[in-house]
Formats: sequence, structure tokens, C-alpha cells
Amino acid sequence: MTIRNTLQDYGQRFRPRMACLKKAEKVVLEMQDPRTGVKWQPQRLVITTIPHAITGEDIVAWLADRFQTGAEEAWSLGSMLVALGYIYPLQDHKRLVIRADTSLYRFQTPYFWPTQQWPVEDTDYAIFLAKRNIRKKGMLELHEQEQYNRLHKWMNHKWDFIVMQAKEQYRAAKERKKPDRVVFECQERAYWVVHRPPPGTVSAMDYGLDRRVDPNADEAKTPDFYQRIMIFTQQSIMRPRVKSSVSIGALVKYSATYSSHDPFLSKCLPSNPWLTDDVTYWTLNMPNVEIPTKMRVERWTFSFGELLSDPRGRNDFQLFLKKEFSGENLAFWESCEDLKWGTAATMREKAEQIYKTFLARGAPRWINIDGTTMEHTMKGLKHPHRYVLDAAQTHIYMLMKKDSYGRYMKSSVFKETLRKAVCPEEHNFSEAQLEQNTRNRRPSLSPIVLRQMEQEQKAKTAAAVDITQLCRFTTPVPHLAVYTGSSDFPASLPFLANSSTACPSPISVALDSVSACERRLEALEGDGEGPHAIAAASAAAAPPPAAHGNASKSGVGVSLRRLLRRSCTPSAVFASLSPKCPSAAGTGSRIQPMSPDQPSQAPPRRISNFFQIKVDIPPECRIYPIESEDEDEESRAVSRGAVGTKEIICPWESLAPQNGTG
Amino acid sequence: MSRWRSSVEEVAARQRQQGECQRGQEALSRVTSCFQQLAASLGSSADGSFLRDELEETRGLVERLSKGLSQRLVHLLTACDSAPSGVADRQVLERLWVHFLSSLESFLSDLRKTRYLIGRFPLSQQSDRRSLVNSGCVDGMVGVAARVAWAQTPWISLGEEQSPDLTNHIAGLESMLLELQLRVPVAFWSVEATQPAWAEPDGELEGRDHSLEELMEVEVASSSHGLHAPCCGLGCVG
Repeated sequence: MTIRNTLQDYGQRFRPRMACLKKAEKVVLEMQDPRTGVKWQPQRLVITTIPHAITGEDIVAWLADRFQTGAEEAWSLGSMLVALGYIYPLQDHKRLVIRADTSLYRFQTPYFWPTQQWPVEDTDYAIFLAKRNIRKKGMLELHEQEQYNRLHKWMNHKWDFIVMQAKEQYRAAKERKKPDRVVFECQERAYWVVHRPPPGTVSAMDYGLDRRVDPNADEAKTPDFYQRIMIFTQQSIMRPRVKSSVSIGALVKYSATYSSHDPFLSKCLPSNPWLTDDVTYWTLNMPNVEIPTKMRVERWTFSFGELLSDPRGRNDFQLFLKKEFSGENLAFWESCEDLKWGTAATMREKAEQIYKTFLARGAPRWINIDGTTMEHTMKGLKHPHRYVLDAAQTHIYMLMKKDSYGRYMKSSVFKETLRKAVCPEEHNFSEAQLEQNTRNRRPSLSPIVLRQMEQEQKAKTAAAVDITQLCRFTTPVPHLAVYTGSSDFPASLPFLANSSTACPSPISVALDSVSACERRLEALEGDGEGPHAIAAASAAAAPPPAAHGNASKSGVGVSLRRLLRRSCTPSAVFASLSPKCPSAAGTGSRIQPMSPDQPSQAPPRRISNFFQIKVDIPPECRIYPIESEDEDEESRAVSRGAVGTKEIICPWESLAPQNGTG
Repeated sequence: MSRWRSSVEEVAARQRQQGECQRGQEALSRVTSCFQQLAASLGSSADGSFLRDELEETRGLVERLSKGLSQRLVHLLTACDSAPSGVADRQVLERLWVHFLSSLESFLSDLRKTRYLIGRFPLSQQSDRRSLVNSGCVDGMVGVAARVAWAQTPWISLGEEQSPDLTNHIAGLESMLLELQLRVPVAFWSVEATQPAWAEPDGELEGRDHSLEELMEVEVASSSHGLHAPCCGLGCVG
């Protein structure tokens, strides 16, 4: 018994229609005509003669005549008929090919024709194997034995039925006359060669995925049906249109560029593994191979997208960017991809991480995007979703494409890679070698293993790269003191807890103390300008994406909110704005205050270490977006009433002379 | 005392019924295998009115057998629930049940194919014979038909029931299968088979039984081959 699913689920259960079957049947029936069909001859065996044997050349000739095509086309049509199982070879029954010579074939009886309506049952296969076992007294082929054992394991409850049915069928078959018995056995064997192909061959009945809708069922013409058609046509009308000259031009350009890379249209060096069973091509083109092939490197020159989508190309590009110290763009782009494609559970943390690392003021790997995009992104980060960083990502992508990509193409890194790229020789296998290749086929690594390796690789590169990728302005300067503070760590702001207590990411490892932030905040509040702490920035930045209205009584929270309300956020470490320009109090105006009704007079408690990174920002470095200048006025105005300053040693206080009230 | 005697009678009756069911199941297997042999010739050059008549008769026999078996098995299994009759008995019954349902399923798929093929190759006119597939079979299937006739229902069937036509038969069988599965709660995956994995042919299956390869040896008639033994690589076919 088989369990049948009678529920109306919406899963994919329907087998797609193979239109070729109906057409093949028509052709086969035409071939039966006694006058105009294929001429048959009797097959002489030792014991008897069996009629209706046809030669390969007759089949091919008939097909060529019927369809008025050349011999090659007729031959491939004949092969299809054999592969589908409408005609089976009498010699060499395991190879379902047609040979246009005197080798013999016979038509398959309609009972054994391939059909889409009913799937081929394993039960029947088990019965067939049991019968074969009985008849051949245990001499099954290796793959048949394996299948037999597997079926015995999975169909154990039916095994009585299977064995008994096999015996009965065997006895029933014996009742027939000898020649018909032979024919029937040939037919059955041919049927199973098609539907359970021996290893090393492919079944022509492979149809891919099941469909969700039954293709054989007629669709009822309900109002709903017509509604769907109306919507569909309306949408088709509304679609934007492109001039055909433009679209065709694009197609032509694409074809011209890629035709030499297409394995169908041109040669695949060294050889196409699907044709010769030799996997050199795949080994040479592994995702992270040391030395890429020349063709692969050529592809990178076609477009920036090609470069990025090839892992090896991306690595090369990354190497180049490292040398130019603009690796953060690519890193940001990759993190955005990670966010887009990652699991929903990790999205929050990822978004926060990305913000802290790339977008916040004073972020260690700050990327340069324009003001509107930044504003847009910040707004979106309050309620992060999968595509919140799309605008920023596109901006950075365009930046890389217009700027770095061009330079990469002219760079020494690329030239070196191009020079080292290998161009393999074309294989030239003989028939015997091809057969040997077929026998030596081995399955490739399991995708689970591959994914694990990939992840290990990623972790290794992530751990190794990050610190060194900090902008030269953010590289820790040894002579500056490290700020330490109390460890009154707020537990309510989850992300902070995450970053510090749970597995800290490589970046947050370096960013450990938060006190600097707080103290600098105090200092700033007094100054209204000046360098800004990373911590504060990050901490300030974190509330927007973090839980809104987190009622945190912690020092950090309060102070941060206070800062935000005053829109006097300490900016990033790079603080430096030129002495003339009021320091960018920053992103305050863009980040809406979290909770405007927070008590503003709570003294800032000592907050625990958040960052330890100390940087030396040359004052002339203007990295902030231009728009920030406007807010500085307001922020300075608002920054009165700051709590009294503490003893903070801000290295840049001396570097950046105060402009506002000190 | 009388209760003990009646229970002994009960047990005896049950054993008898079980034996009946087993014989019925064997007959069902036999008849369904014959049906498959007959159906395999549908649409081929061996097709004809004789074949189709034989198919009808076989189908009717299967119908009678399956109806009787289902009644008896359901009765036995539900009765078994009430009376504690030993685990072994129950196991035998469950095995029989699974066997029965599996044969019904495979017969149902054969029926569907038959209906499709009969619709595809109607033999109403003589010209239709031209499109029959030259598959190499020309047998009249007499032997198979004889085998079918030889199989009997092991119980006495009262009344000649009309066997339904093909479509109704299929529909009836489908509904019967569904109903049977719902009515009798047998966990079929827990049934263990008694047959060994690698079934040996019994004595009666042996005999002058050549493998397909031997049967397919081509007669070496051409002079160029000379006096090669028929088993040489060049001569063997298949």
C-alpha cells in the first residue's frame, strides 16, 4: 500500500506535460502503416523467428523522407524515439541510441509506452527485479542489485506481495508461446532501461520540477478566471516600452561580447565536461582558484557586475582596493548583500553592525555617500528591513563602478593576474579514452561541504582583514592614552550588550570603551564643537535602529538621548573639520530624538568602556557630508546647559581649536 | 464449558476463513498477473477481439475475488479487534491485508492503463488495425486465458453479479480502496514480510528455463562465420 496524499495542498505535485510524447506517438503510429510505414523483417533466432524487426537505417531513411530533412536531423529524431522508449534496440539494449546501419530494433508495445499521466511506480520495478532475479538465478547487475536492496529496505511491508506477484507473473508469462515470451521479456527490459537507467546514462524522461497546477486539467471559466485575465492584460498595457532598435542593439551587443564564452557556440577549453566526462574545466574554474583562466579574466573586463559576481574577480578587486585604501566600499557592498540575502533572524544585528561599522559618524570604515541617501538610510534604519540599505548600496556600487573599476583595469594587480592567467590546451580524446572517462566519473563534493568551506573561508578573511582595513585616519595611534571607564554597562540597550558581551565582531573588539564617548560628549557639550567620539556616535546612532522607546535608565541611554535631543551628537572620530568650520555636531538633526520627554537633568553616569580606539585626526580632513555645516549652528546653540565637564583627555581638543563656547 | 467449546469453534471458524482468504489472495495474484500479460498486448499486433473479451472476463473475475476478499478480510479484522485471538493471528491477517491492498492498487493502475489503451486503439473498424503497433507478438494468448479460467474463487459465490464496465470498475475500485483504508486501522508499515529478500525460484519454476540472453542467440546462418559455436560473441544477440 502506498500513502496517498488526498489533501488539497498547494504544493507542486503535478507532472509537467511533455508535449514531445504525443507527437512521438503520432509519428510511431504512422510508421506502422503496412503500406507507407517502415518495412520490417523477421529476426532469426536459434529457437524461432520473430517478426517485426526493423533496421536502423530503415528508420532513419523513413524519418528523413517523412519530414523532408537531412540524414543528421532524421538520426537525432530517431535517437529521441529510442531514448523515450518507443523503439528499443535488440542488440546492445542498454545503450538507447540509434545506429543508421543494419542493427535491429523493434517497436515497443503501447502498454510500455512512456506516459506523463501516471508516474512509474517503484513497486513495479521491485516486481520486475524480483522476476529477473528468479529467472537469472541471482545474477543481477550491480546497479540492479543495489536498487533491489534499497527497495527491499523501503518496501519491506509489501515484500510478500512483491515476491508473490513476481512469481505469479513469471508463471503467467510462461503460458505464452516461446517467441512471444522472448518478445515480452525484451519489452519489459527495454521499458525499465528507459525508466530506471543504468548508472552513467540519463533518462530521457527526466522532466525537472513538478508543477503546481495540473497542466492536463481544463481551467474553469469562472469570473475569477476572467478577473485574472483582465488584470494580466491591464498590466501588460501599462508596462514601459523600449524601442526595438534599442533592445535589439543591446541583444546584439551582448551576443557579440559573450559568444566566444558560450560553451554551446564556441569551444570550451580544455573540453566540455558534459561531453567528454573530463572535469578539468571545472577544476580550473573553481570559485576561488589561485590562477584563473584567461577567458575568465576576460569576462571581468566586460562589466563591473561580471567582476563582482565572480568570486575570484571579487577577491582580485578587493586586493586592489586594499592597496588603494578604499576597501570599505566593497566591504559595505558585501555586507549589504549579506543583509539582503541572509536569514530574517539575523537581520537586525546585521543592520546594526553595518551601521556601526560603515555609516555612523566616526565609524571605523566610514563610506562616503551623499547626504540625501544618508538621510534616507538613517530614516530607514529605525525600522530595518531587508532592503533598507539598498539606496546606499546602489550609490556605493556606482561609485566603485565609475571610479575604482576603471582604475582597477589599469592597475598592476589586474595586469599581474592577467599575466599569470592560464590558457589550457584543448583536449583531444580518442573513443577509448572517452569510455574510460565515463567509467572514471566521480561525484563532486556535496554542497553542504562546499558551503561549510566557504563559510570558513569567509570567517578567516573577515578576521584577518578588518582591522587593517581601517582608514589611515582611524588607525590607532599609540601615543594617545587609552580611555577606560567604569563598567556600569547598560543592559537595556541590547545591541550594545551584544556587541560587547556576546561574541564581539572583530571591529567591536577594537571598540571597547564607551567612556571616551561619554567624556567627549561632556567636553563637547561644553564646547559645542570639537572632535567627537566614536562611541558616542555609535551609541547615538544605535538607538535609532535599536528598539524605539526602550525605557533605559542607564547612563548611556540617558546621555545619548540627551545628546540626540539637543541634536548635538558627537561626530565621528575623524572629527576634524577645519578649525574655521564649526565641528559637525552632526547627525543629530537627522536622527530624530528617541524619546523627547526624557529627563534632561539626569547626570550622566559613568558608562563602561565602549571604545578603546584612539585616533589622531588631522584637522584638515573633511570627511563629513557638506550639509552637516548647517546643523552645527543649531547644535551649538542648543548645547548650552550641558552638564559640567569632567576631566577628559581629548587628544584632539588641542588639535582642533574651539570655535564655540568652551 | 459451552463457552469454551464455542470459543474453540470460533477459533476454528476463524482459521478456516483465514485459509479461505489466503487462497483467495493467491487466486487474486494469479488473475492480476494474467491480466497484466493480456493488457501488455493491447494496441499491438496481437490485439483483437479475443484479447479484449479475455480482458473483460478476467476483469470480472478479479472483481468477484476482490469483493469477496474485502468483505471477509474486513470482517475478520474487525472481529479480531474484539476477540483476543493471539498476536500471531493478527499479524497474519495484517500481512494478508497489506498484500490485498497492494494487489488492488497495482491492479487499479493496470486498469487505468487498459482504459487509456482501449480508448486509444479502438478496434471498431478494420482500418484501425493498420495503426496497431508491430511489436512482434502474434500470440492468441490462449495459454494465459486458460490459466485465468483455472483460477477460481475459493468460496461459493451466490448469485451471478454483473461485472461493471471499465470506467465504473475503476471508480468503484478507487472508492473501495479509500474506504478500506479508512475503515480498518492497520499500520501497514509495521507489517513484516515473510518472504526472503532474495527469493529463490521454487522447484516448479525451474526446468527448461533459459535466460533471455540464451534465447536471443541469433542463428548463425551466414557462410562467412563458418562453423562458429552459437555462443560466440559475434553471434549472440541481446
